[in-house]
Amino acid sequence: MSKEPSHSRRFAAGVVAALVVGVGLSEWVLVRARTQENRSRAERVAVVALSAVTEVAERAGGAGDSLRRAVATIAGQNPGLKAIRVLVLDGLSLEASTASEDRGEKAAPRRLTRDEKPIYDQAQRLRAAVETNRQEGAARKPEIEVAGSAGGGLSLAAPLEKDGSVVGMVALETTAVPTAPRTDWLFPVVVVAGAGAAFWLLAVVMGERRALLALFACLLLMAAMVVMGRHAFTAVSGDRRATESAVAAAVGADEVSAAKALPELAPGEGAKPVHPANWDADVFRRPLGVIGADGKVDEAKFEQGLATGSSKTARVVGTFTVVAIAVLLFVGFGAASRLGATISKHHQAYTYTFPAIFGMVLLVFLPFLYGVALSFTGKSLYTSQVPLSEIWVGVKNFVDILGDFHIAKSTVTGLVWNYQNIYWTLGVTIVWTVTNVAYGVGMGLFLALILNTKGLLLRPIYRVIFVLPWAMPNYITALIWKGMFHQQFGVINQIIQMFGGTPVSWFEKPSTSLFACIATNAWLSVPFMMVICLGALQSISADLYEAARVDGATRWQQFRSITLPSLKPALIPAVILSVIWTFNMFNIIYIVSGGDPDHSTEIMITQAYKFAFEQYRYGYAAAYSMVIFAILLAYGIWQNKVTKATEGI
Amino acid sequence: MNPRHSRLVICMALALLCGVSAVAAPPIELVVWHSYRGGEAAAFEKVVAAYNAAKAGTGVKVTTLPVPYDAFADKITAAVPRGKGPDMFIFAQDRLGGWVEAGKTIEPIDFYVDQATKDRFLTTTVQAMTYHGTIYALPFNYKVITMVYNKKLVTKPPKTTGELVQLAKSLTDAGTGRFGVAYWYSNFYYHAILMNTFGGGAFDASGKPILNCDGNIKSLELLTKWVDKDKFLPAEPSTALVTALFNDGKAAIVFSGPWFLGEIAKGIDVGLAPLPTVDEAGGKPMQPWMTVEGVFIAAGSKNKDAAYDFVKFVTDTPSAKIMAVEGRQTPANKAVYLDPQVVNDPTLRVFRQQVEVAVPMPNLAEMSMMWTPASSAMAAIVQKSATVKDALDHAQKEVVEAVGLLRKRQ
Repeated sequence: MSKEPSHSRRFAAGVVAALVVGVGLSEWVLVRARTQENRSRAERVAVVALSAVTEVAERAGGAGDSLRRAVATIAGQNPGLKAIRVLVLDGLSLEASTASEDRGEKAAPRRLTRDEKPIYDQAQRLRAAVETNRQEGAARKPEIEVAGSAGGGLSLAAPLEKDGSVVGMVALETTAVPTAPRTDWLFPVVVVAGAGAAFWLLAVVMGERRALLALFACLLLMAAMVVMGRHAFTAVSGDRRATESAVAAAVGADEVSAAKALPELAPGEGAKPVHPANWDADVFRRPLGVIGADGKVDEAKFEQGLATGSSKTARVVGTFTVVAIAVLLFVGFGAASRLGATISKHHQAYTYTFPAIFGMVLLVFLPFLYGVALSFTGKSLYTSQVPLSEIWVGVKNFVDILGDFHIAKSTVTGLVWNYQNIYWTLGVTIVWTVTNVAYGVGMGLFLALILNTKGLLLRPIYRVIFVLPWAMPNYITALIWKGMFHQQFGVINQIIQMFGGTPVSWFEKPSTSLFACIATNAWLSVPFMMVICLGALQSISADLYEAARVDGATRWQQFRSITLPSLKPALIPAVILSVIWTFNMFNIIYIVSGGDPDHSTEIMITQAYKFAFEQYRYGYAAAYSMVIFAILLAYGIWQNKVTKATEGI
Repeated sequence: MNPRHSRLVICMALALLCGVSAVAAPPIELVVWHSYRGGEAAAFEKVVAAYNAAKAGTGVKVTTLPVPYDAFADKITAAVPRGKGPDMFIFAQDRLGGWVEAGKTIEPIDFYVDQATKDRFLTTTVQAMTYHGTIYALPFNYKVITMVYNKKLVTKPPKTTGELVQLAKSLTDAGTGRFGVAYWYSNFYYHAILMNTFGGGAFDASGKPILNCDGNIKSLELLTKWVDKDKFLPAEPSTALVTALFNDGKAAIVFSGPWFLGEIAKGIDVGLAPLPTVDEAGGKPMQPWMTVEGVFIAAGSKNKDAAYDFVKFVTDTPSAKIMAVEGRQTPANKAVYLDPQVVNDPTLRVFRQQVEVAVPMPNLAEMSMMWTPASSAMAAIVQKSATVKDALDHAQKEVVEAVGLLRKRQ
C-alpha cells in the first residue's frame, strides 16, 4: 500500500469494537442473570409453598376428607397457587385437587383417567428418585421437579411420604411468573460512548505513537469493564436481596395458612409445630438454610452467597475483558484490515473452496470440537440429558488422567503395578507399536528382497500367499490367533509339547499375553510393508547395481549404498502411517487378550473404549482420547520434521 | 338395475364406508423394531399379522422392522431420545437401567399394567422388566442356561452335583481330550449358576456391588475344586471350544442356553435336563441368570395407548403359543405352558422347569462395569494366579470405584 495507515484511527476503531464486544457481552450476561434470578425467586417461593402443602398433606394422613379440606383451605389462602393436586400411587387415586377442571364429575377423589398417565409417571419417578438417593446415600436424582407450565407459571411436584416411604405426590401449579425487571440500556451505552470519547481525546494528544496508543487503549478498556462489572454486581445483589425477602415473606405466609388448614397445627395448646425452616429447599429437598428458624434472612449466609456471586461476576467480566483486548489488538495492530484485504483479493478462491470448507466444518471439525468440549465436562450416562455447561469441570479430567502417578507400589511380594494407570498403558502402547512396526518393516523388507530375486520360481504364487493375511478381515485373523494360543487345544502349545515343553497359559501373565497380541499383529502388518518395499525395489534402476559391480562393490555395499537409500522415500511415509495405525489398532488387543490379565495389556484406545462404553464416563473418555490425539499430533509433527530433513537421497 | 349401475353403487358404498371409517379413527401406523431372524422372525411376523387382522377397520396397523442385533441397542440409544425411532421395540433387560438413567428412551408402563396382566407372566420375568419399582416393558421371551447332554454318553442325567462329579470324572480322559462337563465356567454369566445358588451375585437388593461376598467365594471354591481336584473341565473354555467339544462327542454334558441348541451338529443325540442341585449348598438347585426379552414402548411414540394395546396382544397366550411352537422361543407367558403342544415339547418343558429356579440378571446400568473386573478375577482364580478371596476383593474394589465415579455428581 502506498499510504501508511493511521495508527490512531486503527486503535480508535479497535477500542470501539472492543468496547462494543466487552460491554455488550457483559450486558447480555447481566440481562440473563437477572431473568434467571427472577425465575429462581419464583421457583423458591413456589417450592416453599409446595413443601408447606406437602407437610400439611402428610400431617393430614395423605388421604381422606381432612386432606381435601386442608388442601382447599391452603389454595384459598394463597393467591399465587392455581391448582394443588395430591395423588396416591396405590390404586392410581387422585386424592385431592383444586384444579378448575377437576370439578363436578371429575372431582377428587377418583381414579386417574387414561390421559393423566404423565402425572402418575411423574409420581413414580419421584418415588424412584427418593429411593435411589437413599440407597446410594447421595443426592443424584431430583426429588422436586420444577417445570414451566402452559400459562407462563410453574408446575412443581414433590413426593408424598408416609411412614418413611413414598406413597404419592403433591403437585402445584402457580400463576404466571412476573416478568423480569427491565435492565437499563442507557448505562452500557454511556460507558461505551464515554470510553470512546476519552480515547479520542487521548489519541489527539498522543498522535501516532503505536505502543502508547495500545497501552492506553487497553487501560481504558479495562477501566470500562471494571465499571460495567460493578454495575452488574450491584444490580444482581439487589435482585438477590429482593429474592431473600420474598422467600422469607412466603415462608411466613405459608406458615400461617398451614396453621389454618389443619387445626392441630395452629399455635396454642397442644400444637404440633410445622417445620418452616425446611421449606426453602433445593431440588434434593435439602434446606438451603438462608432463611433462619425465626423466618428472617440469615445475614451471614446471605453475605456468603453474595461473596461467591461477586467472585463469579469478576471471573465472567475478566474473561470478557480478555476477549475484548484480543479484539482491540486484532483491529489496532492492523490484522483485521489485512484479513479483510486478503479475503477481498482472493474472494474467488474462497468462494470455490467454500463447499469443501463447509463440509469439513460440519463433518470433521464440529464433532472434533464437541469431543474437545466433552473432555472438559463430567458427562456420564447419568447426565446424558444435562447441558454441558452445567457439568463443566474444567481440566479436572486431564488432571485426573495425567496427574495420577500411582504407577506401582512396592509390597512384600515385590512391585505391584497399577495397570489402569495411563503411564503403564502408554508404556504398553509404545512397546506394542515399536515392536510391531519394527518387525513389520524388517520382515517386510526381508520378504520383499527375496521376492525381488530375478528368476525366482513360482513368484506370483508366493506373492499371493504373502499378501493373504492382509486380505482377510483382521478380526477374523484375531479370532483365529486367539484360538491358536489356547492353553489346551491351541496349536502353539501343541507344538511346544511336541518338543517336550510345558504348555504356556498365554493370557495369564502380562508379558506372554502381550506377546500373543504382538504375534498376531506382526503377522498382519508384514504384507503391507512387503508390498511397499517390493514396489520401491522394482523401481530401482538395474544400471545402478551394474555400475556398482563394475566398481567392485560387494553385495552388502550395494545394499547399504543403493537399495536402502532408494527405499527411504517410500518407506518413511509407510512407517508414519503404520505407527499411527498400530497405535490405534483396536481390534487385535480387544479380541485377542481383551486387556487380560487385569487390564495389563490394554493399549490406550481400548482403555478409552472401556471408560466410555463399560463405565459410561463419556467426559473422562473424551479427555483420554484427547491425550491420545495429543501424543499422535506430537509424533506427527516430529516425524514431519524428520521426513523433511531426509527428503531426497 | 344393470350390472354397470350395481358396480357403481358398490363403489360408492365402499367409498362412503372408507370415508366413514377414516373419519371415525384416523389411521395409526405403529412401527416395531426387533432383531429376530429365521424361524423366530417368521413367527413374530405371524403374530403381527394376526394383530393387524384383528384390528382391521380400526385404522391401526403395525409394521415390523428387523434391525441387526449388534447395532440394535445403540440405534435405540441414539434415535429415540431425539424423537426418531420406533413406537415399540423388543430387547433384553440388560440395557433397561441404562436407558432409564439416560432418560427419554423408554416409557414406563406401570400405569397401564393391571394385576391381571401381571399375573399372566412368570413373576421373575416381570421383575426383570422392573427398575426401581417401575415396570418398563412386558416380558416376551426368556432365555436360561440348562443342562444339555449327549444321550450316547449319558444315559441318566445327574440330579445332584455329587452324581455329576462322579459321572463326569468317569467320562473324562484328558489324554484324548474327553471331558465329562464343558461349559464356559470362567465367564461370569455362566458362573452365575453356582454363584446364585450360594446366595451370591453381582449386586445386593439396594444396588451395591457384592462381588466379594461369602456366597461368591464359596461358589468359586467349589469351581476351583472341580477344576483342580476333580479335573473334569477343559482349560480356558469359550463358546467356540465348548461347541467344538460337544459336537465331536468329546464333552458329555454342557451347561448352556437355547442359543447353543442351534449350534449342535446333526448326528448328536441331544437330551435336555434341568441343572442339578448343589450338595455343597445344602441341596439347593443351581440357579442360572435369566435374560428376558421385553416389548418396550419408546418414549418418543406418539401413540402410546395404541402401542400398549399391541404390547399386550403380543404377550398374550395365543401369540405366545405361536412364538413357542413356530418360533422355538420360550415365552414368559405362563398359560401357554398348559397347552398340550407346548407342554409335550421336551425342549420347552425343560426350559420351563429350569426357569422356576432362575434369577433375573440385574438390569442396572452399572452391570456393564461388572463384566470385565469379574471376568478378570475369574480368569485369575481359574489360572491360580490369585486366591479366590484376593481376586474377588480386587474386582470388588475396581467395581466400587467405577460405580462411585459414575454416580458422583460433578
